Amino acid sequence: MSGAGTGGVIVIGWVELALATGFILVAGAVAIALRLGVTKSLWIATARTYAQLLLLGLVLGWVFRVDSPWVVLGIMLIMITVATLTVARRAPDAPRGSHRRVFASMTLTGFTITFAVTALVVHVEPWYLPRYVIPIAGMIIGNSMSGMALALERCFADLDAREGEILALTALGATPWEAAQDSVRAAIRAGMIPGINTLSAAGIVFIPGMMAGQVLAGADPMVAAPYQIVVMMMIAAADVLGSTMLVMLSYRRRFTADGVYLERSMRTDAR
Amino acid sequence: MHATPPCALLEARELTVVLPGDAGPVRVLDGVSLTLACGEVVDVTGPSGAGKTTLLRAIARLMPQGSGALFLGGVSASEMGPQRWRSRVALLPQKPVIVAGDIAENLTLPWRLKARDASLLPDANRLRSALDEIGLADVALERDAARLSLGQQARVALTRVLLTRPDVLLLDEPDAALDKASSAALAATLRAFAEDGGGIVRSRHRDDDGLAMRRLALAAGRLTEEARP
Repeated sequence: MSGAGTGGVIVIGWVELALATGFILVAGAVAIALRLGVTKSLWIATARTYAQLLLLGLVLGWVFRVDSPWVVLGIMLIMITVATLTVARRAPDAPRGSHRRVFASMTLTGFTITFAVTALVVHVEPWYLPRYVIPIAGMIIGNSMSGMALALERCFADLDAREGEILALTALGATPWEAAQDSVRAAIRAGMIPGINTLSAAGIVFIPGMMAGQVLAGADPMVAAPYQIVVMMMIAAADVLGSTMLVMLSYRRRFTADGVYLERSMRTDAR
Repeated sequence: MHATPPCALLEARELTVVLPGDAGPVRVLDGVSLTLACGEVVDVTGPSGAGKTTLLRAIARLMPQGSGALFLGGVSASEMGPQRWRSRVALLPQKPVIVAGDIAENLTLPWRLKARDASLLPDANRLRSALDEIGLADVALERDAARLSLGQQARVALTRVLLTRPDVLLLDEPDAALDKASSAALAATLRAFAEDGGGIVRSRHRDDDGLAMRRLALAAGRLTEEARP
């Protein structure tokens, strides 16, 4: 049931899909034989991949047909909400109320970069064209999610590791910013590193996702490459913007109004 | 023999600090009051965990949870911003904190903060003489501060605070990491600070070194005057 589909895409049918799942059976057999203890997770993850991606295909098909800006904006907000929960879960030591700050940073980053790219670089018409806006927003939100989670986790781990130094600096008259700035910088740097690594390795270690997709769909590689460059630039920008905003909004929460750092022994929400 | 203290410098009234504990809130300080005159040195003694560090931090306005009132020279702490208060009532934590860089950079750190007037930055001669006074005459200002011994780091950290000319020094176990000779140099420096009118509160578990005019014992969050031997 395979063959050339529309636009040069080779359609993968159910038989081929089942064949591909055979690879996971091999992985599962290895997991069982070596008693790796991941067999159940592997089956669940495989089932989720099927369910989530097929559902995504159905939803995207519907969204493309409906062609409404409200649906596009609604989907972006759902993506941001799920990403917010993921970031907050990965930084359990962050102060209470981190969800709000992650959501605010993610929303500003997601909307600003997505529409800057679609309007100014790709020149999408109309501005909400789902076929462009949703995949681009997904890439931006997904990537900045990783950077923001790293930055948030690093910020509060570093502040706790430096609590003696922060006390001494505060005792000398330092403001919270003066006491915390080294940790803030370390956190933003940590949030940017995955993006920088991706930029450096792109095209040598791997063919980036979007370019690979376009090439598989039959596009000229020289048409696909500029798209991918745009994507990489916007991902790097989203990493910097999202991590910086989140950390700047968050670090002060660990200090009292009088500028005293709340050490672990002083916190009622310490974990 | 000590002269009669000429003026009231610092007053702490009914300081209470409650911290979260494993079995519910713990009252670490329970209505502690303390007065310090100009030129006076007071030692606070007590077993580990008695709350000595918490008391010093509360006086420096470096404890988040707490109640009570603080006055410096008769002026209420509530009329002074926290950074201004801390630059006049200076806490030196027990563990010396040395930042990356040479000794001169460590000594001038306070003047890189907004709370201080950068035009009052002490010059190299002033830094040199301050180090000489505390017994670090053989240590160059250009030396990497990370390469100092713990005792030397403790003295650099104290010199840094002294250079800011606070009214009150709050010292948390200042001689815990020092040998006998270094302790003697430190005591001489502190005596000179007190003779200039500064007040000192030290938390100590060591034997009386004769510097303190009063010794107060802290137990179960309360402060009592110790009888002098």
